[in-house]
Amino acid sequence: MSVQLPDSRPFKVSFPHMGNYSIPVKLLAEQLECEIVLPPKMTRRTLEVGARHSPEFVCIPFKYNLGNYIEALEKGANLLIQAGGGCRFGYYGEVQEAILRDLGYDFGMVRLLGGWKLRDHIGDFKRVNPRLTMLRALKAYKLALRQTQALDRIEDYVRRNAGFEVQDGAFEEVHEAFLGELDTARDMRTMAEIESRYLGELEAIPTERPDDLLRIGIVGELYVLMEPFSNLFVEKELAKRGVEVHRFVTVSNMVEHGGRKGPAHVDDLIARSGDYVRYHLGADGTESVSMTYQLMQEGFDGVLHLKPFGCMPEVNAMASLQRLSREHTFPILFISYDAQTSETGLKTRLDAFCDMLRMRRQRPGTAGAIASGEERSTA
Amino acid sequence: MHATVGLPRSLLFHKYHVLWETFFGALDVETVTSPQSNRAILARGIELAVDETCVPVKLFLGHVDALRDKADYILVPRIVTLAKDETACVKFLGAYDVARNSVPGIRLLEYNVDVKNGIRQRPELCRVGETFEPNRRKVRRAYDHAASEHLRYTARLDEQQEEVLARPGMKVLVVGHAYNLYDDMLGKPIVDFLGKNGVEVVSSEFHDTAKARTLAKLVSKDIPWTYNKELLGALESYRERVDGIIFLVTFPCGPDSLMTELCMRRVKGTPSIMLVLDELQSEAGLQTRLESFIDLIEAGKRRTMAGGAAR
Repeated sequence: MSVQLPDSRPFKVSFPHMGNYSIPVKLLAEQLECEIVLPPKMTRRTLEVGARHSPEFVCIPFKYNLGNYIEALEKGANLLIQAGGGCRFGYYGEVQEAILRDLGYDFGMVRLLGGWKLRDHIGDFKRVNPRLTMLRALKAYKLALRQTQALDRIEDYVRRNAGFEVQDGAFEEVHEAFLGELDTARDMRTMAEIESRYLGELEAIPTERPDDLLRIGIVGELYVLMEPFSNLFVEKELAKRGVEVHRFVTVSNMVEHGGRKGPAHVDDLIARSGDYVRYHLGADGTESVSMTYQLMQEGFDGVLHLKPFGCMPEVNAMASLQRLSREHTFPILFISYDAQTSETGLKTRLDAFCDMLRMRRQRPGTAGAIASGEERSTA
Repeated sequence: MHATVGLPRSLLFHKYHVLWETFFGALDVETVTSPQSNRAILARGIELAVDETCVPVKLFLGHVDALRDKADYILVPRIVTLAKDETACVKFLGAYDVARNSVPGIRLLEYNVDVKNGIRQRPELCRVGETFEPNRRKVRRAYDHAASEHLRYTARLDEQQEEVLARPGMKVLVVGHAYNLYDDMLGKPIVDFLGKNGVEVVSSEFHDTAKARTLAKLVSKDIPWTYNKELLGALESYRERVDGIIFLVTFPCGPDSLMTELCMRRVKGTPSIMLVLDELQSEAGLQTRLESFIDLIEAGKRRTMAGGAAR
């Protein structure tokens, strides 16, 4: 817990981007009763300014966050929020603050550390807005969570179906319209109504699902999974290649499995990891292995494992994943993101991966490769 | 028949070898330690590890592999938290599973420490001891004896450090984890080179953990990693008594990259450099940087002395 208020008033609050979650975060930030300055949409420049002032081999989410802060400060923000997270993410705020101060910016910062409990953070927010009450914060939290769930449900549907649209861009168009409406929704009923209406609209979009469609699961580190700009829009790229994309790391799932239920959830993941993990590997590492094992058993064609370069929890997970892939001949494509990762390189790798998965499908006998792999492991 | 336990000379060995050796010794269990790091061990580690693994973990896997046919078991601790409100680096959470999945044909003995969740070192290490000695009281006595030997050993190290600090001549503090500082392929050549050039090396090993945690707060309020807190404790405790500071970081260490960034910005007044070690480095390049750093310190000293005379 740490709050430093800016010297100048009025406060203008900003926070880093992560996918479309700026929508519910904005709803929360409104309770501070300050002007909200969203960082500009992510561009190459965001990464460039962020990387220029970051430690050389810090992971890429740090660099994006710092880029967002710099661009928000340029737009006039003077109070930055850093929410931290599981691993070294949790330590970002202090270092970012030091870097930004040395760059000469004048601003305040709220660093949220420790647990996910609202009770731990209410004091911080009250210092920004003394009129804030626990009741009001709780109400806003529930609304933001409902908004997040609507967002995650719609985006999950888009991921699984956009690859098969008959008319190019049909899903994206509805998705964009949905985001616009959700952004203004401020009560439960409206949110539910928007969600079901847009789900209906999405279902009405004509699709052609080929017989040989590929099912691919995406696992890995949460930031690069949830911020499409940082993963070079890998989900859209897969959709273009006729892939049904599944992803399980979302903010709704993190809230559901976080807090008090966290340890039990980790135990459950370990129990369903085929003995490739015996102890929690840190952050999302255990989930990456366990989900991959489960998807393999469900008959998925392959898995994409995404992480920022050097992300230790996921590097831990890769030791298990590589063995799993070897022992079960299960295809996993490992992608590591740093400031130099090229879009062309990614596209080539995705092409090759999808081709390989289709060849596995076509070669007689290889469809059973997964099942025979299982036999080997139990033998 | 005597069982043997292999101790990989890497990672936490450099912190806990007295504890482990004494403990197993008291139980009449023979310990076998892997040799000093060398090119072959590093090469094998690189082969076994995921590319992006940090150099210390690559060395660790090389050391585990070096013990493959040399011992019945290989000891690999899994450390999550050593106190409330802090955590060990994520590589210590994964070390056991990473070794198990990466090195074929080994039998591991693990003990798990997660103080925040009530899993303490004593019962965990005693459980390991019971693999060899059914008498639980004897195992507990062995642990208590080993723990006090460990404390005595670390206290002596802190005293030795004070003796180094009391000596005249140029002193440089090397801030780096024990597993880097004392490794033949990483920190050792640097420490030796400094010594050869007449520089007294003060290491960032600091064993008064309670004091380290308090001192660390002066540099960083939020830093969560236990062993980094100890480094910061050493930095705050020694920095005014040394002529220069070298931050020794291995590629691509997350905690150290953030900690060093903050230190370089906040610790002013003492000349400092950051050396990043990777698996490909050349000794010549490092020596050039060290030589110029020593020159820089000497030039600074001369200036101060000249300034003093003019006054």
